[in-house]
Amino acid sequence: MKPLDIIVCVKLVPKPEEVTVNAETRTLDRAKARSALNPPDMNAIEMALGLRERHGGTVSLLSMGPPFAAPYLQVGLAMGADHAYLLSDRLLGGADTLPTSLALAKGIAKIGEWDLVLCGEESSDGATGQVPQGIAEWLGCSQITYAMDLSFLPDGRLRGEREIRGGHEVVAVPLPAVVSVKLAVNEPRFMDMERRRNPEAVTIWSAADLGVDPKWLGFEGSPTVVGAVWQAKSPERQRQFLDGTPQEKARLLAEQIRRML
Amino acid sequence: MSEAGVRVLDDLVWDEVTAATQGAAAPCFQCGVCTAVCPWGLVQKEPVNVRRLIRLAQLGTDGWGEAIWLCTTCGLCEARCPRGVPVSEIILALRRLAWDRRAVPKGLPSMLWAIHWDGNPLDQPPSQREAWAKGLNLEPFTPEHELLFYVGCTGAYDRRTQKIARSLVTLLRAARVRFGIFPDEPCCGESIRTVGQEEYLAEVVAANTERFKAAGVRKLVTVSPHCLDMFRSHYPPWDGFRPLHYTEYLDQLVSDGSLRFKRELRGTVAYHDPCYLGRRHGIYDAPRRLLAAIPGLTLVELPAAREDALCCGGGGGRMWLETHAGERFGDLRIREAEGTGVEWLATACPFCVLCLEDSAKVLGVERPRVVDVTELAVRALGEASS
Repeated sequence: MKPLDIIVCVKLVPKPEEVTVNAETRTLDRAKARSALNPPDMNAIEMALGLRERHGGTVSLLSMGPPFAAPYLQVGLAMGADHAYLLSDRLLGGADTLPTSLALAKGIAKIGEWDLVLCGEESSDGATGQVPQGIAEWLGCSQITYAMDLSFLPDGRLRGEREIRGGHEVVAVPLPAVVSVKLAVNEPRFMDMERRRNPEAVTIWSAADLGVDPKWLGFEGSPTVVGAVWQAKSPERQRQFLDGTPQEKARLLAEQIRRML
Repeated sequence: MSEAGVRVLDDLVWDEVTAATQGAAAPCFQCGVCTAVCPWGLVQKEPVNVRRLIRLAQLGTDGWGEAIWLCTTCGLCEARCPRGVPVSEIILALRRLAWDRRAVPKGLPSMLWAIHWDGNPLDQPPSQREAWAKGLNLEPFTPEHELLFYVGCTGAYDRRTQKIARSLVTLLRAARVRFGIFPDEPCCGESIRTVGQEEYLAEVVAANTERFKAAGVRKLVTVSPHCLDMFRSHYPPWDGFRPLHYTEYLDQLVSDGSLRFKRELRGTVAYHDPCYLGRRHGIYDAPRRLLAAIPGLTLVELPAAREDALCCGGGGGRMWLETHAGERFGDLRIREAEGTGVEWLATACPFCVLCLEDSAKVLGVERPRVVDVTELAVRALGEASS
């Protein structure tokens, strides 16, 4: 089998517990929130590095985000990725999944050689889970969603094991393909500190570099209309303490549970 | 590579192992005392063959297996070694090489990521770091404070050990000590060091040292002996920097009369020496003097005390790995304490409290109750100051 050139799409997300909601502007206020790489994207990076170990090739990271995302891409480079690209431009801001997947597809095409695109199943902030499918559509290639494991069949097709309700499904698709990776399917390796000390530069591309009419990008290119945004209140816990011996407590607990069934 | 008892020396491995261990294994003359005293021999059929691991390091070869991850760095073997071999350092060096080979137990990379993203190995949000101090109105540290109260990750996030940190606050306030905390306190890096990630540790230590120096930190009191070990032995010292464990500091406060225990606490207590307080830093007497200063309390020594104390099982990164039921050192320690008939088993380390209390629960032992020294001390404060 020939070496694989893999592109992993990653997103910088705010730490969910530090995000507040601005009901007036109908946006999330991320100003005070710290950022991290989207958790399932970390699993996608690990999967890509594992495939590179088995088949050779390259792993490139691609992200769309503000300039401060660059050091976070260097975290992925320190894990072992070969190259990193950041699409960063005011014109790309405020994008929903349609222009996001378009911009990423254009970025992938601009990187050039590729066999496989891996994405996390969804982002922890937007949580639409639509971007991987969008990328596959724009690129006109096959896709596997919610993959837990990837391997290759003797005929060169990509074999993906995916989670479905009540079990697993195995599918095979020809390359090139886009795959979305389930959260927590592997344990992302920690950074190689030598690579971390000597960080590779992140290539930054603007909207103009993508060769797309700006009306299809960012806020302008987003058909989504946000009706309202609010912070859900977490339900009040109905704490109860049970007294008695362990046996009595167990009996009381069982009674309580029975009442709820 | 090993075939039919033949071990082939690989030059590359030899270079790696000798560079990582820096000749530390050289003085070992293979007497095997380390293997004989290793607590794993008490809970598993086969002891951890420490002597063999040292021999492999001497030969500059690999084949260490899973055994290097069992070590709790308790230092019992080092205390008995007739040649003064720093066994834990050798084990940590071998762990470092295991990272290069990606042969590390599941869960440890995630623990490091938790420190990287959230600043603590417990995978808790930094925004909750101060939750332990809720309602206490603690002051953010300034150079005018007498000391920095360093609560540590376990004291900050773990619900059981938060109580230890709060007890210590009560005691410091009773002694009218002016202290401050770091509102966004950084992790000291102990868990990074003990899993063998020396290079990442260097990054964390350098960043923390800059922060502590810039904030004017001089005297620092830790809740955990593990944090104390980091600051005392693995941070570059700076002018006036004086890390202390709380038992040392409270002992000073009692001896100079600033802290008085006025209320009688009738009962018997045994003291469990935490490895990183006792064997690592020779702090055996301060916690005992503190307990002895409590009126009415009778201190009983455990059969294995001071230099001979048995580890709780939580050191050396073992807090982040699963230890099978029936193989926990804490079970043996609880049985030992139970045999003395004391009411309390007191200790002075969050890891020890968690491991021992866990064992007591699993074994169904209700007496002795596991407590931290601070928790008994708070009960002995007079009405006015408690």
